Amino acid sequence: MSRIALWAVAGAVLGFLLLPLVIIVPTSFSASAYMEFPPRGFSLQWYRNYFTSRAWIEPTLLSIRVAVVTMILSTVVGTLAAFGLVRGRFRGRRVLEFFLLSPMIVPVIVFAIGCYFLFARVKLIDTPAALYLSHSIVATPLVVIIVGSALRTFDRTVEQAARSLGAGYARALWHVTIPLLRPAILSAAAFAFLTSFDEVVLSVFLGGPAATTLPKRMWDNVRHEIDPTITAVASILIAASIVVLATGEVLRRAAERSRTPAS
Amino acid sequence: MAKPRYWSVTEGPLVLPAVLLFTAVYLYPLSRLVAWSFFTPGFSIRHYRALFAEPAYVTAFVNTFDLSVSVTVMTFLLGYPVAYLMTTISPRARAIVLACVLVPFWTSILVRTFAWMVLLGRNGLVNHALAALGLVTTPVALIHNRIGVQIGMVHVLLPLMILPLYSVMVRIDPAWLRAARSLGARPRQVFLHVFLPLSLPGIGAGGALVFLSSIGFFVTPALLGGPRQITIAMLIDLMINDLLNWGFGAALALVLLVVITVFFVVFQRALRLDRVWGGAV
Repeated sequence: MSRIALWAVAGAVLGFLLLPLVIIVPTSFSASAYMEFPPRGFSLQWYRNYFTSRAWIEPTLLSIRVAVVTMILSTVVGTLAAFGLVRGRFRGRRVLEFFLLSPMIVPVIVFAIGCYFLFARVKLIDTPAALYLSHSIVATPLVVIIVGSALRTFDRTVEQAARSLGAGYARALWHVTIPLLRPAILSAAAFAFLTSFDEVVLSVFLGGPAATTLPKRMWDNVRHEIDPTITAVASILIAASIVVLATGEVLRRAAERSRTPAS
Repeated sequence: MAKPRYWSVTEGPLVLPAVLLFTAVYLYPLSRLVAWSFFTPGFSIRHYRALFAEPAYVTAFVNTFDLSVSVTVMTFLLGYPVAYLMTTISPRARAIVLACVLVPFWTSILVRTFAWMVLLGRNGLVNHALAALGLVTTPVALIHNRIGVQIGMVHVLLPLMILPLYSVMVRIDPAWLRAARSLGARPRQVFLHVFLPLSLPGIGAGGALVFLSSIGFFVTPALLGGPRQITIAMLIDLMINDLLNWGFGAALALVLLVVITVFFVVFQRALRLDRVWGGAV
């Protein structure tokens, strides 16, 4: 009896979590000129609008570009930092760790204001560079956490075996350690990409007419005029999240398999 | 015996690129906030004095706090059953439930908030459903007010409650529960006197995470809230983007940062958060 109640309550909560995603997709296929649910008729008009409108496609391309640069920058810097934090033995290690993870706690809007002052000074407001740099700060902690936790459970004996067989430090790292960590690094990269791709606040504060990302375009749209094209954009983004998440999950499982010693 | 030579490579300096990037693009900008809030152009604390003099600003702090507490309580009430259910089902069913939590979590906040705007609008699905059930006769206002922000924020932050709760619950040794049962406790008693107390660290971690995130939350309150739900983050946006009062915006941002830091330190001390989600490295 109580199990049925538990399922009912938990099921309702899961329904609540999925409801917005489930509602937006059918709305995007509506044939009506307005946004409505349940949708009337079926049409691809909003998708056609999206793919043929420069006002939507250019921000999308910029978002992809910013997300790729952010992904590369934060994955490289974050992976190196994870090595330093997990394997280094130096004073102040805990403080540095806290420093590198703290952007997860500092509200993005506070960081955005700080960046605004800095970038206004060096004339970087409304440029992609401002977005590469600021997005990387928000994405790096995730990389440090994901790669760091893979590194902590990493079986160092395989690396030591390579070293004792004559491989230099760099060679052992490149041919043994990195390949074993690859799933964790790739999944960290996927999350870094998604973090940048979905980032709204930094783009709203640091972007402008010359550097409008997709979230900034959506933000302006939602705040001022609601163009139903946004339902198509939203559906595409939901699909993209599912794809990236599924990829990350596959990689994470591969990482777990590779970590269990094949005795 | 001396350590073999190949142990001697030190990897500590690998943190340097990250530290350099963070110092230039994160620490330095945050420190500039201090300068901006105090020196505009000469040293003065007028921005801080204005903060307490104007009732509208005090209201923003009260609103933020009120919203954060209510959202934290609601995410706990909704999240606990889901996390608990996940500990009692088969791995396959658990993977499905987890996917239902993670997919919304990794969907753009803007997309989710926008979807709630559609759902909660005057002609939205929720109003249609309420009318169909005979609960209301005319559409009720569900956005641009307190309930709208709460629904949106609970939706966005719920995964942040469920995930730490689950990670603590899954580590509870079933032997404790069996022991309680074998000593004659009824299921209800086992839950209330054994499981619930053992899950407290998860409640603390999830609650802290949701609360800290709500305090600085911008997107959802800005889109779903009304003029009476101005939060600190919205006030910062107003000062910087509309009123161009940079100094006051900086002062507000700094106060928000201090508030978050104080709460974080208190939570850290009281709940030993690092055992649950911090200290991941």
